[in-house]
Amino acid sequence: MAQWLLVAATALVVLGGALGVQAVRTGRRNRGTMVCMLLAFFCQLGLLGVRGELRGKCPLGDSGEILAFLAWSLVLFYLVVGPAYRISLLGLFTAPVVAIFQMVALLPGMLKHNLEKADKVDPWAEMHAAFSVLSYGAFALGAVAALMFLVLNKKLKEHQLSSSLFRNLPPVRSLLDSVVRLTTMGAGILTVGIMAAFMMDRDNSYGLHLVGAVVTWLAYLVVMGMHFWRGITPRRLSSSVIIIFVLSLLVFAFV
Amino acid sequence: MNIVCLGLNHQTAPVEVRELFAVSESKLGQEAERICEIEGIEESVVLSTCNRMEYYAAADDCRMASNQLRSFLQRHGGEPLRLEHLYEKERVEAARHLCRVVSGIDSMVLGETEIFGQVKKAYQAALESGTTSRRLNKLFQKAFGIGKKVRSHTGIQEGQTSVGSVAVDLAEKIFGHLRSSRVMVIGAGEMSRATARSLLSRGAHSIFVTNRSFERAEELAAELDGEAVRFNDWQTALQEVDVVISSTRAPRAVMDRAHVEAVRRKRRYRPLFLIDIAVPRDIEPEVGGIEEVYLYDIDALKEIAHEARGQRVEQVRLCERIIDQELVESGLFEP
Repeated sequence: MAQWLLVAATALVVLGGALGVQAVRTGRRNRGTMVCMLLAFFCQLGLLGVRGELRGKCPLGDSGEILAFLAWSLVLFYLVVGPAYRISLLGLFTAPVVAIFQMVALLPGMLKHNLEKADKVDPWAEMHAAFSVLSYGAFALGAVAALMFLVLNKKLKEHQLSSSLFRNLPPVRSLLDSVVRLTTMGAGILTVGIMAAFMMDRDNSYGLHLVGAVVTWLAYLVVMGMHFWRGITPRRLSSSVIIIFVLSLLVFAFV
Repeated sequence: MNIVCLGLNHQTAPVEVRELFAVSESKLGQEAERICEIEGIEESVVLSTCNRMEYYAAADDCRMASNQLRSFLQRHGGEPLRLEHLYEKERVEAARHLCRVVSGIDSMVLGETEIFGQVKKAYQAALESGTTSRRLNKLFQKAFGIGKKVRSHTGIQEGQTSVGSVAVDLAEKIFGHLRSSRVMVIGAGEMSRATARSLLSRGAHSIFVTNRSFERAEELAAELDGEAVRFNDWQTALQEVDVVISSTRAPRAVMDRAHVEAVRRKRRYRPLFLIDIAVPRDIEPEVGGIEEVYLYDIDALKEIAHEARGQRVEQVRLCERIIDQELVESGLFEP
């Protein structure tokens, strides 16, 4: 059941991305991408609900669940941020990232079977896991907005202005505002996640993943600190946000 | 369907002729009634805008209706009106012309949308005066449908074709709405004045003007409701602005990489849009290599405008295909 929900969510996300590409090619906007992402979001919710029920706790017990949770979090931020910030094409750029996470989660062995129901639940551990993965959703969407900025920046610098993609991309300032807001939001949520980790039972070892999370948190703090304190060029800000996000995914290897 | 269109527009008649026929919006219905009083004309719609004056009439005998209308216009226009000022379309050609007008492809500014509303008002006035019936009602309803389809299925409204408009579009692509954008004009020439005016019309509110002659800077600043800056102080103003329009007659570059490098930190590396419309160029090309700087010189802007014009020609062809196809499918005119 859970596996099929993930397959459905992945198919919907791929369809949403395809509709986004078609909208850019024809120059006609449609809500297809948004609708597909919304339906995918409900499939993800179903998947996480089923897995959570089986585990009797937050479904973040294996790599497949973490990736599915991360994809859900990314879609959640997309659904909230896309319309609020009026960022067109955000869905088109988000869909492939979500699809990749979910496709990896679908690989054999990623979603474990025969789950044991938890005897007791440590609320701090649950909070740590949920907030940490949720923050990655914000970081991921920040990285998507940063990638959109880099594409637009390249086109503006090289005077390549005739493509439909250029015409449909949001303004530079809107993209940069989104990068800053999402990354700041992600850093705030991750702060809560890390604080919760230090409140966990001693039985739950802090492990390498917590070290990785703290390093990620510090890296984002440095970049945002530079941005707010002395300023940083938009290209460096965007590149940093993307690089830190990609490297920070390694944290999940230690979970 | 026996329809006749007789008219004159910005392409066929000068303004001194067009103004002889101008009819105010409130009198369009009355004018349509006058046309219906002409022998042989059964239905009529009168369209009057600053660029065109057109009479649409339905009659059993197109040739006779056309002759009668022409006589009416010649009596009305008198001496200044000559035959070459008028164009005359019948049946499917008249319908095709109306569709072109409604779609904005017969307008002075290609793809403009105002004409759609103007034709709607002209039709509404005729409808209320009772000068339209089966034939013109069908034709105008169909034309509005086609006009909408043309606008939604083609890029006829996209792309700017003048240097000033291209610059403003680019500014919006970088800064979004220009309400919070500050502009500096270097050189008080006509081109920078026009470009600055375009930026102001799209919401830019804070303008600094600098010129070697401070008096001229003050004049232009007063005209643009901005602030004059002495030429020696423009680098200080550079810290605050988002857009620079440069159009001096200086024989060598006014702004080089060092000028911008010096203020980058103080600007907190915000995006800076530099529009160099001077020949010879005012801004050294190396400035464009700075990460947050978007530099466009006159050639780059002209090339974009030229590309847009080329794309519009393509779009006009597409629009015409849609119009022809829709008219054939409508069955209003026998093949």
